[in-house]
Amino acid sequence: MYRICLFPGLALAAAVLAGCGGSDSPTAVPAASTAHGTLAVSPPLRIASADAATFQAQISASASGAQLLQLTGPPACGVDFYYIQFWTTGAAGEVTESSGALMVPTGAAPACSGPRPIVLYAHGTQFEKAYNIANITNANNTEGALIAAMFAAQGYIVVAPNFAGYDTSTLGYHPFLNASQNSGEMIDALTAARTALPATFSAATSDSGKLFLTGYSAGGYVAMATQRAMEVTGQAVVAAAPMSGPYALEALFDAVITGNVNLGSTLFAPLVTTSYQHAYQNVYTTPSDFYSATYATGIDTLMPTTVTPYTALFTQGLLPATALFDSTTPVVPGSTQLTDLLAVPVVNPANPITALFAEGFGNPYLINNSVRVGYAADLAGNPDGTEVGSAALAAMAPTYPLRLDLYKNDMRYGSWAPASPTLLCGGEKDPTVFFSVDTGTMAAFWAGLPANVVTVLDVDPAGGPSGPFALIQAGFQQSQLQLLAYLQTPAGGGLSLANAEQALVEEYHGSSVPPFCALAARTFFSNF
Amino acid sequence: MIKSVLRALPVAAFLMGASICRADDAIPNNTVRIGEYWVFYHVYADNLSGPFVPTGANLSVKNVQTPYLAYLRRLAPNFAAEVAFGIPPLTKTYGKGPAAFGSVPYNGVEISSARWFAPTAFIEYVFLNESSPLRPYLGVGLNYVNFYDRNSTAAGNAAAGGPTAISLSNSIGPAATVGLHYQLSHNWSVVASYSAARVQTTLSAHTGGVVRTSDITFGPQTLVVAAGFSF
Repeated sequence: MYRICLFPGLALAAAVLAGCGGSDSPTAVPAASTAHGTLAVSPPLRIASADAATFQAQISASASGAQLLQLTGPPACGVDFYYIQFWTTGAAGEVTESSGALMVPTGAAPACSGPRPIVLYAHGTQFEKAYNIANITNANNTEGALIAAMFAAQGYIVVAPNFAGYDTSTLGYHPFLNASQNSGEMIDALTAARTALPATFSAATSDSGKLFLTGYSAGGYVAMATQRAMEVTGQAVVAAAPMSGPYALEALFDAVITGNVNLGSTLFAPLVTTSYQHAYQNVYTTPSDFYSATYATGIDTLMPTTVTPYTALFTQGLLPATALFDSTTPVVPGSTQLTDLLAVPVVNPANPITALFAEGFGNPYLINNSVRVGYAADLAGNPDGTEVGSAALAAMAPTYPLRLDLYKNDMRYGSWAPASPTLLCGGEKDPTVFFSVDTGTMAAFWAGLPANVVTVLDVDPAGGPSGPFALIQAGFQQSQLQLLAYLQTPAGGGLSLANAEQALVEEYHGSSVPPFCALAARTFFSNF
Repeated sequence: MIKSVLRALPVAAFLMGASICRADDAIPNNTVRIGEYWVFYHVYADNLSGPFVPTGANLSVKNVQTPYLAYLRRLAPNFAAEVAFGIPPLTKTYGKGPAAFGSVPYNGVEISSARWFAPTAFIEYVFLNESSPLRPYLGVGLNYVNFYDRNSTAAGNAAAGGPTAISLSNSIGPAATVGLHYQLSHNWSVVASYSAARVQTTLSAHTGGVVRTSDITFGPQTLVVAAGFSF
């Protein structure tokens, strides 16, 4: 009798649970499709949101940020920072997820909401796999902060992919300087971002349909490749501003192989060879064919690296800091021309960059002499046009595999020329992506185009500021003088003049030129 | 009014059950209690961890009050077993940490809520003999918690960065109680008690394809005042 008396209580418990049962709140939905250009998660995660005043306060909190705002001007808009994940394809057609940033201007001002133009931006070379340009909360994300302050806070919607192989992408490599993959992924990111925008907190801001393309360094190359891909398929581009990009890949690598070793080359080399090995399977049979025994093991999966900071690659002996080539240069039997071409360059004290070139030789070194000999033999018999008085590619397809890959990915390949207004910006003392070899070559290659299609801007002209961007040129050169002086003060490290000049060279491509070229790009875009 | 009626229904169900089981024993073996629970959560939460979480993001939980229900079984003159639970309260979680993430308010903002179904079973030692009207007691037992109806608020979604689904793992932990029972008549009594338990759960917030987590330890302490009917 008593036993059954427990039952009413249990029944009540069940009744209470049933009566109070409710549904849990929903979250973002993963996409069912993995087709390229599909937004993988909708709505995307908003990483941060700052109104104009908050954004200004946060950027101004650091000295470098305050300097940046002097160039960009104070934010006119707030910015919502979204992390977009989307599906794309690798260099060999692999289905992979990629990620990136969607930065949306916010605020009541007409320039900050309603239909706004999109800037599709490609970042510069990153060496660490974990790189995520969307993560504005990371103090090291200076490129993300630059484009946010320069474009998003001034009313442009910014879309910037991290690219396959970075962040959470499952692709085991990055298709570095692969025009087809890079441009395809840019378009995939744009498609995904356009899908994402109406589902965000910032839906009061919409796509006006105006599209601008830009990017810096490797991203400058990608921006140009994207402009080409979109124009040849009839997709509207209002204007483009590739910045400091290695557009003329054949000419650039010809220069490097023959001793003009650019700053950062030991990091770029494995990115290039891994990329083209995946795309074309022709760079080497085994990495030791290409790389010295000291570094060959594991180099095919080294970059982008999980070692942080990436400079630890040098201290851990995984890469040499500067010695791209063997200081004992090859003697090519029967060819004094090639032997001389491959010799260590002579240092000219009056030209700091020649000291940089000489540092590209040492022991242990990264790339075998056999590579230099094979490559140089090809270029000697089939030179890039820049070596024989034209701006064209080599007359015939190269026979040396790596050079052939570079030839196919050179922006001159296919003889495309831009139809939409294009600004090519860079600095002529660039020690990493040589201005004359890349920007200069493309300018010469397109010299016959109608006026105002291609505008070339050297922010650091030897002859001093002139023309429509004179204020930007003057600002750049003034900032270089200020930096040189600062580096010699106790606060700046108390460097000698020679060391300060060397530091200036090291900062030139990665830190000094980008904000000025970005400002030039924004100024250029504002005309349309 | 409707709320009151709904609250009364379970009580009626208890009493109906009780009436079916009524016995003529001198000392009834079964007791049902109804009263009020005051729950003080005493929360310790790790800072939220996961992708893109600002430094120092933490949580706090507001105390609640809810109707108390219990069933007691007399096991021996000085021992009883109790199963107690409250009507699952809607417990609200608040942001604790920076005043804002960027321009999005956080500290002190209600970010989520969940209901707790938290039955507790005790074995109790009841002091003095059964003829004494005032009898203190001590008990130890186990507490089980299941969280449901878990919702992120609009402000919580804004702070998290998008629509957010919340999961909280179930918890089983120790519990103890001390109370004072006063017999008003053969069938009716009143009781006041203080109980403590330990609840551990992992909160997972799913937003935009990323998951942020926090391990949360509650030391809920409850005060109960209730009336009992024995049969």
